[in-house]
Amino acid sequence: MLKGIQKFAGVAAVLACGLSSQAFAQTQTCVPVLKSVAEVEKEVVDAKGVKSTKLMPLATATPGTLVIYTTTASNGCKQPIDNIEISNFVPEHMTYVASSAMATGAEVTYSLDGKTFGTADQLTVLENGVSRKARADEYKFFRWAFKGSLAPGAQAAASFRAVLN
Amino acid sequence: MQSLRLITAVGTLALALGLGSNNARAAGVPAGTVIDNTAQVAFSVGSVTSTTNSNTVSVTVAEILDVVVTLQTPTVSVSAGDTQQEIVYRVTNTGNGPETFRLVMNSVLTGDDFDPAAAAPSIYFDTDASGDLSPGDTAYVVGTNDPALNADAFVTVLVVNDIPGTVVDSNRGFSRLTADARTGTGTPGTTFAGQGASGTDAVVGTTGADGDATGQYLVAGVAVNAVKSQVIVDQFGGARPVPGARINYSIVVSATGTGTALAPVFSDNIPANTTYVPGTLRLNAAAITDNADADAGDYLATPTARVRVVLGNLTQASGSQTITFAVTIN
Repeated sequence: MLKGIQKFAGVAAVLACGLSSQAFAQTQTCVPVLKSVAEVEKEVVDAKGVKSTKLMPLATATPGTLVIYTTTASNGCKQPIDNIEISNFVPEHMTYVASSAMATGAEVTYSLDGKTFGTADQLTVLENGVSRKARADEYKFFRWAFKGSLAPGAQAAASFRAVLN
Repeated sequence: MQSLRLITAVGTLALALGLGSNNARAAGVPAGTVIDNTAQVAFSVGSVTSTTNSNTVSVTVAEILDVVVTLQTPTVSVSAGDTQQEIVYRVTNTGNGPETFRLVMNSVLTGDDFDPAAAAPSIYFDTDASGDLSPGDTAYVVGTNDPALNADAFVTVLVVNDIPGTVVDSNRGFSRLTADARTGTGTPGTTFAGQGASGTDAVVGTTGADGDATGQYLVAGVAVNAVKSQVIVDQFGGARPVPGARINYSIVVSATGTGTALAPVFSDNIPANTTYVPGTLRLNAAAITDNADADAGDYLATPTARVRVVLGNLTQASGSQTITFAVTIN
């Protein structure tokens, strides 16, 4: 996988050096499609009486509802997209659910202020002059840095869960 | 006209008690609030780095229908035949949006000794925030001035009953106030599409969108009894009522029943043809000066010679109070 990235990066560099006007045209048109959804888990029972949990789109919610936000980046281009980093935030009136920020093939970092990002162990809060580890419910911003490149036709998804206050 | 007055009443009450409706913590995010979320992605194609935004996802906060009725006067002490006796309740909108509630009272309940008789009208708003039924209070008329409460706001409601003349001491009579959301009630989760604040859905909360509380009247009678006895001591070492003989009076006062006698005053005239012996007045063996002063009793020479003792609140548990004084036969 890593080899692939280097190879693609190399091709891109060649394109950029040798055919700068074409490369510019390609970056103009090659933008991943980013789609966000808010969903809720609903238990459904099929014709055989088997219960399963499904994600259903959510337009209205009552306080206490657990909302799952998922953002998907799709590569509709003919070339790979590199250094994908999806950013999102906990909306106003909502509280992040610990350990729910996830994405396959990405490293997640958190932030309390939208400026300083770090892993769970790195974030601290100054309270009454004493530094302590930040609690998950204090996380307000997320970044998912995807490893490798997104091949044409592929998708990268990142999600987190939050409770409506 | 009625409803206009009510709106004024609710506003005044909220102000008087320093409560607003904007503290929506208990109820959650206010109904109708739109919560937006937009994600962003940074990426590079070739050597060029760029960013793009996602669509904006909007979630509208639905209205929760919840109401709680709480009793403000746990037990109301009454006597047989009393009229216009009020039990005080508080109706609180514990949902997250403005809602109108219907009020119903019921005094025909099981588990008690008598049924209080609903007065007409039987439900009032405590318009003047006095905590009891007073001329300034507005009568409730169902469907006309149903209380409209913002999230977390409350209204104080008085349920008024008459007490039958046939009740006896320690009888209990229950009376219940029920409030339900006009939008609808039901099992938690029941949804009324588009009927919530700002056109959002209204969803029945954990209370079922209705609430009730039951207060009680307690017939608390009390009887104060005084038993007087005397001992005659003559100057010859005997017990004959001759001029110059001394009469020692002893009065035992006691309360019986479940109620409280509020500061009863014992007063006893000095019998004709006798004279009070100064300094002999005592309450429970403790001396009381004859002068009108801070202590519990005094001797009054005019207009009619008498002794007087203020006993303080008496209940059956207070036990008997013994008053003594002496006179001499003229």
